[in-house]
Amino acid sequence: MSEPGIGLAFLAILLVLLIIRVPVALAMFVVGYFGIAILNGFNAANSTLASETFTLASSPELVVIPLFILMGNIASVTGLSRQLYDAAYALIGQVRGGLASATILGCGGFAALSGSSVASALTMGKVALGEMDRYKYDNRLSTGAVAAGGTLGILIPPSTGFVIYAILTEQSIGRLFMAGILPGLLLLVLFIATISLLCWFRPEFGPSGPRTTARQKLQALIGAGPIVAVILLTIGGIYGGVFSPVEAAAVGAGFVIILGFVTSKLKLDMFWKATRESIVTTATVMLILIAAHLLNPFLALSQIPQFVGDVLLHLNLSVYAVLAIILAIYLVLGCFLEGFAMMVLTLPIFFPIITQLGIDPIWFGVLVVLTLEMGLISPPVGINVFIVKSVATDVPLGRIFVGVAPFWIAMLVALVILVSFPQISLVLPNTMIN
Amino acid sequence: MRTIRNVADRLIGLSAILGSVGLLAEMIIILTDVVGRAFGAPLYGSQDLVIMTMVTVVFGGMAICDRKGGHIAIDLFEDHYSRLFNRIVDAGSALLGAIIFAMIAWTVFESAKLSIMLNLSTNLLNLPKAWFQWGLCGFALLTSFGMLLRAVELAFHNHNIHKESPFV
Repeated sequence: MSEPGIGLAFLAILLVLLIIRVPVALAMFVVGYFGIAILNGFNAANSTLASETFTLASSPELVVIPLFILMGNIASVTGLSRQLYDAAYALIGQVRGGLASATILGCGGFAALSGSSVASALTMGKVALGEMDRYKYDNRLSTGAVAAGGTLGILIPPSTGFVIYAILTEQSIGRLFMAGILPGLLLLVLFIATISLLCWFRPEFGPSGPRTTARQKLQALIGAGPIVAVILLTIGGIYGGVFSPVEAAAVGAGFVIILGFVTSKLKLDMFWKATRESIVTTATVMLILIAAHLLNPFLALSQIPQFVGDVLLHLNLSVYAVLAIILAIYLVLGCFLEGFAMMVLTLPIFFPIITQLGIDPIWFGVLVVLTLEMGLISPPVGINVFIVKSVATDVPLGRIFVGVAPFWIAMLVALVILVSFPQISLVLPNTMIN
Repeated sequence: MRTIRNVADRLIGLSAILGSVGLLAEMIIILTDVVGRAFGAPLYGSQDLVIMTMVTVVFGGMAICDRKGGHIAIDLFEDHYSRLFNRIVDAGSALLGAIIFAMIAWTVFESAKLSIMLNLSTNLLNLPKAWFQWGLCGFALLTSFGMLLRAVELAFHNHNIHKESPFV
């Protein structure tokens, strides 16, 4: 059998293992290890297993993962999301659909602390759904806003999605973080515009909230001040070249912990639990990354990326057509695969094609992460929808999926804009200091 | 079986404590370095300490990750499979995981022998690389043991530890 033939056969085995529910990391380990063993011998497979495992487990760049996860978990347990929501609520809660827009703003702010879409949807769902229910918001709009707003966590830095992309493609984490800021803000604006449009045509969807006085607005903004300071410190520090992403993660985590203890919102047992949860999540992410680094050499040996690349190049399509095909594949896969696993499984195949076509890898990273974000609210396995369902137990799942549909369209619009105007993604990384 | 599970859970708890302490240590080391650098006195060898502590953070959390059912799986079709099939897959996956982690431990142990022979150490503090490779082996073996135990419980006692005795 030819090398691409062996590669395709092993990819089929991988697919079967995934379908029967074998954990993604273990399935990738099996295919990667035995694939290398067949193509290059067991000695090569053993040595790749040992070297990749230790190299990744002691990689200085990857320290950013547990530290940002810790920062997000501490921010979650200390209820910082509540303060963000309150500030947004005080500012725009009184306009039609304002509570839903405040939810989106709160999600955006929390995304800049946590880097996790699930954490954003869960914490903001607990805070905002009750409020919107109280003001008689249509539950399609309220649940849709929380599920969609939560997805901002993966695009607005610090984003775990960007870290994984950076490690898999050997790109700068700092540049990717910067590349996510403007697209994240663009999406945030599009989400708010979607809410405004919905409430314009159907005013009963989002009645106006109560008016707040100037004093209440000021108090809410002061309350959110420390959180904004953390965001400015970490993101601004990376942009200004003051901190590396790893240092920014440590500074941010340290700042949030101190803030939690000083304001008495963080107790020792909560702190310990959040720390332990952080190492569990780190282990989940790192095991998949290690497995991916075992699978990648196998794919390279089997010449699958070259094979797929040759097929695409023989079609004589334009760069944009190839990009459109790849993004369409991501959108379809996003409906069925967990986003992180999808990225790990597909990048070794698509990334060499992207570089061969001269597409900017940072720009492509933003597009990939945005499509992952869309997968988070796509039926049938949109994880954020299930997260919202776990908070809004009385709302049928189908209704939540209907509610996220306009936001999914807004994301598609954002994708088209970002494909058409690469500078939106590239302007900040290109002007970064150091 | 119950005694073995209790011992395993205690070891997993200990491993998680080491991982958590490692994470906090990492944060403190980097913060000290950043603050020290601002005053012209960065922490000497901080990178050596951070990358080696990372081994404890990553592998210290592996056993508890499996114990809490933290691994990502595509469970889209779970409800379409029979109970027996799901049980077989769960037990088989746990056994597979046990073998993989045992192999990681073995191959890294062999690599540690090379590190000793070549006298490999970190750049600034000259911490022997083999120490951390042995640490990784220990954590990997514990994870392997935890997964093997879970496979046995699923296969012979129909006891799904994730659902019936959640780790707290």
